[in-house]
Amino acid sequence: MSLPEQKPDLEDSINVSEAHGRLVREAAACVREKRIAANGSEPISLWVIALCGVVVLIAGGILGGAGDWFNYKATFREGYVRSAAPGAEDTGPQPKEALAAYMAKGAKIYSAKCNGCHGADAKGDGANYPSLVGSKWVVGSSEKLSMIILNGLQGPTSTGKTYGAGMPAQAAGLTAEDLAGIMTYIRNNFGNTTGDVITAEMAKAALDISAARAKAGQQVTGEELVADHDKALPGAPLDPKTMVDPVTLAPATAPAAQP
Amino acid sequence: MSSATTSSSEQDALLRAGIDRSLRHPVMFFLTSGAAWLAVSILLGIIASAKVHSPGLLSSCAWLTYGRVFPAHLNALVYGWGMQAAFAVIIWLMARLSRKECTMTGTILTAGHLWNLGVSLGVIGILSGNGTGIPWMEFPTFAWPVLLISYIAILIGSFIQFRVRPEGHVYISQWYLLAAMIWFPWIFITANTLLHCIPGHPVMGAAISAWFRSAIIFLFFMPVAIGAAYYLAPKVTGRPIFSYSLAKLGFWSLAIIAPWAGMQKLTGAPIPYFLPYLGAAATALIFVPAATAAYNTIRTMLSAEETLAVSPSLRFTVAGITGLVVLAAAAVFLNLPGSTLPLTQFSLSGYGFEILAIYGFFSLVMFGTAYFIVPRVTRREWLSSRLIKIHFLFSVYGIITVALITLFGGLQQGIGQEDWKQPWAAAASRAYPYAVANTVAWILILFSNLFFLLHLALMWIGLGRRSSHPTLLQSAHASSPHGAEGDIDNAGPATTH
Repeated sequence: MSLPEQKPDLEDSINVSEAHGRLVREAAACVREKRIAANGSEPISLWVIALCGVVVLIAGGILGGAGDWFNYKATFREGYVRSAAPGAEDTGPQPKEALAAYMAKGAKIYSAKCNGCHGADAKGDGANYPSLVGSKWVVGSSEKLSMIILNGLQGPTSTGKTYGAGMPAQAAGLTAEDLAGIMTYIRNNFGNTTGDVITAEMAKAALDISAARAKAGQQVTGEELVADHDKALPGAPLDPKTMVDPVTLAPATAPAAQP
Repeated sequence: MSSATTSSSEQDALLRAGIDRSLRHPVMFFLTSGAAWLAVSILLGIIASAKVHSPGLLSSCAWLTYGRVFPAHLNALVYGWGMQAAFAVIIWLMARLSRKECTMTGTILTAGHLWNLGVSLGVIGILSGNGTGIPWMEFPTFAWPVLLISYIAILIGSFIQFRVRPEGHVYISQWYLLAAMIWFPWIFITANTLLHCIPGHPVMGAAISAWFRSAIIFLFFMPVAIGAAYYLAPKVTGRPIFSYSLAKLGFWSLAIIAPWAGMQKLTGAPIPYFLPYLGAAATALIFVPAATAAYNTIRTMLSAEETLAVSPSLRFTVAGITGLVVLAAAAVFLNLPGSTLPLTQFSLSGYGFEILAIYGFFSLVMFGTAYFIVPRVTRREWLSSRLIKIHFLFSVYGIITVALITLFGGLQQGIGQEDWKQPWAAAASRAYPYAVANTVAWILILFSNLFFLLHLALMWIGLGRRSSHPTLLQSAHASSPHGAEGDIDNAGPATTH
């Protein structure tokens, strides 16, 4: 560090002691700064190198887990529903798509109530029992079909042919869910493909309409069907892919949170 | 010492003093407004943290709901404090190391005001409900071009200084600072263009946002703080950097590893399968550049223990470098795909890691650098060593608490979240005690930084001590608030300016 008693450099017009005073006043912090020394080359501790080596090994292990490159299947599975964990309490049946759930319910009712006459393939016998396959009244407007099932049918069918004494009423013991199931089942099975779901709400409306008929309790006729019931049942249509509870047929509110 | 070298060293000191003088207002502007933003950010952080354990707090005010306060807290921390502290340190260090006076003071100050305007409007935008919802990029879309333009205007001068510097050695700090100056626009433009201008699939958008956060930490804050530490350690102690070749290894490993990190946040998401693993491996590998830089600077500082004991700059730097070591260890332990990684995705741990990086490491080194720079640019010494000690102790105890509870408590919370047979509320109640401790710790940090802000503001308006002796952290002279004084010159002659 420079000292005030050092000789001024006479060839320069700088007054060193005055310059030094300025330095002390204005650049004290800079004057006492140390120069950045030359770069060192001390030996590096082996422990640091070993520790870094361990971390490199761990990182290699992590990277080794990434074996599948661009594979999405490990992280994204279509239609995946988490199954109950072993030991987890029973959270009830798994939700199903609406069409499948209604059809499953309808299949049971069909085998109990319809199978005896219309047959397992629903083709009837051609003489006493008509076929349901491709029948205009089966795949046609839903209210017409519901009235036939609930009240039975007298006289000619959609083909104009009369089958014996006609069809007896099937309303006894039939709930709205049952009716919805059986209607959805026969409209989407045996080669019939309407693709729509008759909801329990629509079936409930059908029960009400049936009870309010002028000739309640009697079989319907072709004329009555065409005159009064040739329309779709009231009620909001349901997307066949909606997830529903297979027992109650109510929409499953949150299938992910409540698997 | 010969007369010739004396004269040249005095000329050199005057040159350095001239550089400092030219940067007085830009540096003090960025540090002071940065410290003010830090206080705002911590206040918002306290509110956000308090809402975790007391959801009813301030619930009647839509502007202060958690979904707005929390992003405002982090964005104010990153863009308000972090970036501005980095600006102050970069413009000063680059000018000093390139030995060039700053000739663009007006441009820098104008751009600095523009930057603050952008951050203010951005924070107001978030609080008024106009945030974008992209983490760390919540500012409404108009803000990012403003920030980018002001960034370029602030730092272009430092590039020019580097280009026209006298021939010679490029110092280690300059590698890191130059790299950070170049990397930030790359990260910022990439993320903002991909997310705002040409948005692709939202899942990939989430991955880009995760990469952006990681890159801001590892490719900007980390090199700036390491660069500053590589300057302070040899400058204050007067000893050479422990190992030059180790510094080279640290720099290049950071440059090679850091850009790959970040996408481990998307573990289990339908993005290409290897990306989260690559991100986790790269984040774990950050240990290498972090540990080499920490080892190098700590060994350099330990070679002059008597200086280390009294220098405020070194005390903060050592604390920050310790934070770097903890951060490096956490980078390994939080990114093991089989065990810890899934626990950090939606819990306090991810937040804890970011806060550890920004406050526990970056900010502490920035404080240390500020304690070195401010006396030089203001030509006054720090007023009180007691204020510095309060700042240090409350900051360090606060950040240790925040880091411990968010990292460890976050893992606890993550375990609760993974147990999907339990309701989500069970995971929240696991985090409850940690959230309370978090709030208390943030209050400590706010307290410490209000003192720092006050101290800075007093220094800027010229109320610092006028003395040729620095303010040191000595406890031997408890009778004097300034430590060992030497020739106090408070009533001395006025400067010639």
